[in-house]
Amino acid sequence: MVEQAVLGDALLQGTKEVFETMVFMSLEESSQFDPSIDGRALLGSIAFKGNLEGSLGICCSVPCAQAIAVNMLGIDATEKINEEETCDAMCEVTNMVMGCLKSKLEDAVGVLEVSIPSVVHGRELKNNLGKGASKILVKVNIADEYVGELSLLYRNSPEQPSDKHGVDK
Amino acid sequence: MAKSLMIVDDSATMRKIIMRTVRMSGLSFKRTEEAGNGVEALEKLSVGPVDILLVDINMPEMDGAELVKKVREMPACKKTKIVMVSTESSQEVIEDVMADGADGFITKPFTPEKFQEKLSPFLN
Repeated sequence: MVEQAVLGDALLQGTKEVFETMVFMSLEESSQFDPSIDGRALLGSIAFKGNLEGSLGICCSVPCAQAIAVNMLGIDATEKINEEETCDAMCEVTNMVMGCLKSKLEDAVGVLEVSIPSVVHGRELKNNLGKGASKILVKVNIADEYVGELSLLYRNSPEQPSDKHGVDK
Repeated sequence: MAKSLMIVDDSATMRKIIMRTVRMSGLSFKRTEEAGNGVEALEKLSVGPVDILLVDINMPEMDGAELVKKVREMPACKKTKIVMVSTESSQEVIEDVMADGADGFITKPFTPEKFQEKLSPFLN
């Protein structure tokens, strides 16, 4: 059985791992009561299915996404980064966080199949999982400068026996 | 080091990131090439083989696993070392692609040290 707290911790730890090794920016869970993302935002998302199914989302402001892309590509911060590179970097971050999460959860929920990541202008991750779906939202500080949101919408796959690989709600 | 390297990944950004990480690892190559999928990689390899091929698994047109099989059928690429670079971490996937002819596996996220560790043995 995987508890919500375990999923939330795996999501946060996986994201930290990606930011430390590939983005070179610090990422910590926010201690502020309700920090919000300023201005226009980008949302990277990826779907997964298996004994657990749903979507993972990573949201941050456009300037934060640009900073992520600049750091990942190792280009001069004064160089202009285009939208395609920014979205591509967000896709890669989302894909790698999903990879980390998948690896951390494999013992508990078995193999998860994942979709191709995508990026949209927007904030809130929504899907049509219906009844029995749960949501985890973790607010984070990125490089002590930006606010980010990690979200996980999920439910047990209806095809799987819930007493074997179930998720506590 | 008179060696050549090709990065095969459908994301142009990831290809740049891998190239940057290879440079950060201290490894240098005389010739470097890029391809956006397996088909493009095979076209380039038929013109001139490389010593090391870094290959993503999930790609459109022709995925990494299929590319490994095709490269292993090319006599000119007999000595090419193939290292997979992917977010895939399941043992089953890794074992399958290694059985098909890959020589190594690097899981994303990666570090320069990981590239150093996995590629150095092929450069000596």
